[in-house]
Amino acid sequence: MKKFYLMLVLLVGMAVLAACSSGDEEASGGSSEGSSSVDTITAWAWDPAFNIAALEKAKEAYSGDGDFEVNIIENAQDDIIQKLNTGLSSGTTKGMPNIVLIEDYRAQSFLQAYPDAFHPLTDVINSNDFADYKIATTSFDGEQYGLPFDSGVAGLYVRTDYLEEAGYTPEDLTNITWDEYIEIGKKVKEATGKNMLTLDPNDLGQIRMMIQTNGSWYVDEDGSTPNLAGNESLEKAFETYKKMMDADIGKIVSDWSQFVGAFNSGDVASVPTGNWITPSIKQAADQSGKWAVVPMPRLDMEGAVNASNLGGSSWYILNVDGKEQAADFMLNTFGSNVDLYQTLVKDIGALGTYSAAAEGDAYAVEDEFFGGQQLLSDLSSWTDEIPGVNYGLHTYAIEDILVTGMQDYLNGTELKTVLENVQGQAEAQLK
Amino acid sequence: MKMKKKAFLILRNNSLFIKMFLIMMLSIVAVSLLITFSSIRMSSDLFMETFSISNTKALEQIEIRFEDYSFAIVNATNEVQNNGTIKKVLTQENTSAIETSKSYHDISRQIERIYPTVESYDTNMIVLGNNERLYNMNYSNWPVSWDVLRNHPITKYTINRPNTLLYQFMPSTSFNDKPMIVATKALMERSTGEIYGVLYFPILEEQWKGLYEGYTSTENEVLLVNRAGQIVSSNKEEMIGDKADELLALAEKVEDEGLEFKDVTISGTDYMLMSQYLPTYDMYLVNLVDKDAVLANLINTKEILLISLGIVLLAVIVVFLISRRITNSISRLVKQISTSAKHEFNRPVAETGGYEAKKIANAFNSMLNELQEYVGLVVQAQQKQRSAELMALQHQINPHFLYNTLASIKFMIQQGKKEKATDMIHALISLLQNALSNVDQTITVEQEIKDLKNYVLINQARYGEGIKVNFFISPDCLDYQLPKLILQPFIENAFFHAFNIQKEGFVQILVSEKGGNLLCEIVDNGDGMEIKGDHTKEDIKEKRHLFSGIGIRNVHERIQMLYGEEFGVEITSEIGNGTKVKVELPLQISAKPKEITSI
Repeated sequence: MKKFYLMLVLLVGMAVLAACSSGDEEASGGSSEGSSSVDTITAWAWDPAFNIAALEKAKEAYSGDGDFEVNIIENAQDDIIQKLNTGLSSGTTKGMPNIVLIEDYRAQSFLQAYPDAFHPLTDVINSNDFADYKIATTSFDGEQYGLPFDSGVAGLYVRTDYLEEAGYTPEDLTNITWDEYIEIGKKVKEATGKNMLTLDPNDLGQIRMMIQTNGSWYVDEDGSTPNLAGNESLEKAFETYKKMMDADIGKIVSDWSQFVGAFNSGDVASVPTGNWITPSIKQAADQSGKWAVVPMPRLDMEGAVNASNLGGSSWYILNVDGKEQAADFMLNTFGSNVDLYQTLVKDIGALGTYSAAAEGDAYAVEDEFFGGQQLLSDLSSWTDEIPGVNYGLHTYAIEDILVTGMQDYLNGTELKTVLENVQGQAEAQLK
Repeated sequence: MKMKKKAFLILRNNSLFIKMFLIMMLSIVAVSLLITFSSIRMSSDLFMETFSISNTKALEQIEIRFEDYSFAIVNATNEVQNNGTIKKVLTQENTSAIETSKSYHDISRQIERIYPTVESYDTNMIVLGNNERLYNMNYSNWPVSWDVLRNHPITKYTINRPNTLLYQFMPSTSFNDKPMIVATKALMERSTGEIYGVLYFPILEEQWKGLYEGYTSTENEVLLVNRAGQIVSSNKEEMIGDKADELLALAEKVEDEGLEFKDVTISGTDYMLMSQYLPTYDMYLVNLVDKDAVLANLINTKEILLISLGIVLLAVIVVFLISRRITNSISRLVKQISTSAKHEFNRPVAETGGYEAKKIANAFNSMLNELQEYVGLVVQAQQKQRSAELMALQHQINPHFLYNTLASIKFMIQQGKKEKATDMIHALISLLQNALSNVDQTITVEQEIKDLKNYVLINQARYGEGIKVNFFISPDCLDYQLPKLILQPFIENAFFHAFNIQKEGFVQILVSEKGGNLLCEIVDNGDGMEIKGDHTKEDIKEKRHLFSGIGIRNVHERIQMLYGEEFGVEITSEIGNGTKVKVELPLQISAKPKEITSI
C-alpha cells in the first residue's frame, strides 16, 4: 500500500512538471507570434460626434482579410497628448494604442521627439491621394507617418441678408483681401449695426489662417526655429488684425460659447474659420438660406492665395505589436475607400482630405441652408489650394507668447519691437 | 407485531451501546457546534472592530483629501477675490474693442495663473461677470453660455449667500448625463457690498469621487450627503441624487453622539455606519459597511461549518466503532451468561472482546468450573448414599421368609421327602449367596435366571405347584449383563398378588434383544390390577417377601439411575386378564456398569 502511494505521488509530481514545462513552451511560442499579429487593435480619438463616429464607420466599412477586433477608445484630447508623451518618453509600448489621432498642429512635435515610435506609412499609402498641405504636416524626414484625416480647410461664412442690406453680394466677398474685407465690414456695421466677425484675444486662429494664405508659419521650414521677427506675413497679419480692432468691426469674445452664441444669435455678419463650424452654424435653423460660404480672404501680399486652414487632424500608427494589421485597416478604410468618405460627409459631416472622395455624389449635394451652394465640393476644391506649411513643434507655445505681444501691439507698442520681443522670448523659452 | 417485537429485541440487546453512543454523539455535536459558532462570532466581532478602526482611519484620510480639495478651492477663490484685474474687467462697461480685447486678455492671464491651483483635481473654473463676461477654463467640462449660467438656480442661490463658499449639487439632468458638484462663491466688493461676479468650480462627480474611491469597495460604500439629505456623491452610482433623509438623520446622530460607529439596518441590510461631518462642505461623509458581505469575504462560514461537520462525522464514526466494540463484547457476554442456565451451567462463555470483557468472562468461567465441581460432588454423595441404602436393604432379608422356608424344609424332611428337601436347601443356599453378595455387581442373564429358578423352586415347594413358571430366554441374551435382583421383585409380586382370586395360572418370563436393548418381560394371567397413575405400584410389605425393603418401585429408580431415563420399567395390567411388566435395559457385555465403578 505504501508503495502504491509513493508511485501515486511520483506520478502526480511528474504530471505537474510536465504541465509546467509545456506551459512555458506555449507562453514563449505565444509571445514570439504576438510580435507580428494581435487579436485586437486599439484606436484612440476624442470626439464622439466626429472622429470617434468616423472610426465606427470605418470599422463597419472594413473589408480586408485581417482577422481582428477594432477597439475604439474615447479619451480627451489633452489626455491623449499626455498619455502619448508619458508612454513614448518612457520607451514603453505597454498600454499604447495601435492607432491614434493627433491634431496637425501638434503632430510634428511627436514625430520629431519620438521618430521610432511611429510606423512609417510611406509604402502603405499614396501621398498624392491626399491634399498637399496635409502631407507637409504629417511627414517627417522624408517619411510619411500620418494618414491625413479631416480637413481644416477654412472658409468665410457670410450672412447674405446683412451683406445685402449693406449693398453687397457674396460675390463681392469672393477672393478678396483682408483689407477689402475690413472695408466691407465697416459698411456692413454702418448699415446693420452688426459686427463683421468675432475676435478672441486669447486665440490667434485668425492670425494663423492669415499667414497660411501666404505659406508662412510661426516657425521656419525646419519646424523649430521661431520665425517671428522679420516675418512679413506675420507683420501684415498683425497690422490687419489691428485694423480690424481700430475699425471696431470685431465683437470681442472670450470663449467658445460666446463665439458660437454670436453667430447663432445673428450678432455677426461673417465667420472666418475652419469648415468644422458648419454644424454649429446650422444649429440656428431659422437662419437657413441666409448663409453662404466664400473662400478665405488673403493677405494683401504677393503670392498669397484665397485658401487657408484651421485645425484638422491625422491618423498615426504606433510602432507596436499589430502595426501591420493597423496599417492594413487604415489603408482599407481611410486610405482608399471613397464610399466611406461619402458616408462620413453624409452622416457625420466630416470632410476628409482624400482627393478622390471629392468626385463622389455626396460632395455634390446642394445645401439649402447655404442657399443651394455645393458647399462640400467648394470646400474640397479650396482644400487643394491650401499652401502647405510645416507647423513645426511649437505652434501653441509660440501662440501663447504672441497673444501677449498682440495686446502690446494693440495698445501702442511698435510692431517691430513687439515681434522682436516675441522672437526673443520664444527663442529663450523653446531652446 | 413480529417486526415490532424484533425491533424491541434489537433495541434491548443494544441498549448499552445506544445509550453510550447517543451520549457521546450528542456531546461531540454540542461541543463542536458551540466551538464553531463561538469562534465565528469571536472572529467576526474582532474583525468588525479592527475593520471599524481601519475604516475610521480611512475616513480620516478621506477627510484630509476633502480638506485638501477645499483648501485648493479656497485658495483659488481668495486669489480671484483679491485680484484687482479680475474685478476691474468684470465691472468694466462700454469700452472700445481694443480695451475690451486687452481686458479679456488680462483676465485670461490672471485666471490661467490661478487655475493650476485646482486644475490637478480635474476641476473646471468659471468666472461669471456682468456684461456677458464669462471665462470658462475647460469648456468641454461645462459648455454653458453666459445667459444660462447667469439665470441658473445655483447662481441665484450663491448670490443670496455672498459670504459663503457653497458646494452645490447639480443632478445629471443639467446639460450632460453626468452629475456635478459645483463650488460657488459670489464675488463681492467688500466696501460697498456690491456683487460683481460669481466664481464656479464645477467638478464631475465621477472625478470628485476619486478623492475617496480608492477606499471603497462594493461592500464598503462611501456617500456624501448634504444638508438637504441628498446623496451628492457615492461610489454607488445609482444612489447619486437620491434623497436619503434617514441616512442623514443617522449620520447626524453618530456625529452628535461622538460614536465610533453605529450598527444600522437600511432597506433590509445590516450596515456599520461611520460618519464624519465636513464643515467646509456642509456635508456628511458617510461610510456604510455591509457587514454580511464583508464577513462573507473574511470568514467562509460554509467552509468552517463543513470542516466541523467533517470532524463531527469522523468523531462520531470513531465513537461508533469503539463503543460498538466495547459494548458488543459486553452484550455478547451478557447474552451468553443469560442463556447459560439452559445449558446447565456447563458451557463456558467465550473469552473475547476487550480486556474488561475478557476478565469478566474469565471470572465467570472459573466460577462455572467450581460450580460444576461442587455439583459433581453432590451427585456423587447422593449416589453413594443411594447404594448404601440399597446395600442396607439387601441385607435385610426377611426373617419370615427364612423362617417359612426353613419350616417348609422341616416338613419335607419329616415327610421323608429327602431329595426335595435337599434341592430346597440348595436353592436357598444359592439364593442367599447371591442376595448377600455385593448389590452393586451385575451378573449375566444366565445367572439371574438361575437365581429366579431357585426362588421359584422354593416358592413352589412351599405353596404348591398351582402357579406355573415358564422361562423363555433367547440364547443369544444369556451373556448380557444386568443388575442383580432386577427381575426378582416382579416374580415375587406375581406370586403373592396375581393369584389371590384364581388360584392357578402361569407366569412367563421372556428375555430377548429388541431394538438394541435388552427386553425382559414378566407376564402373568392372574387377577390383574388397577394402575394408579404411576406405573409402579405401592409396595405392600409382607412377610412372604424375600427382602423386606426392595420394592418394584425401587427397581425402576435403580435402572434409571444406572442407565438413564430412556430405560426403566413399564407395567400394563387389566383386571381379570393379568399383568405384564416390561423391563428395558441396555445391552451390556462388560462386567460392570461404568457409573458404579466410578463411585
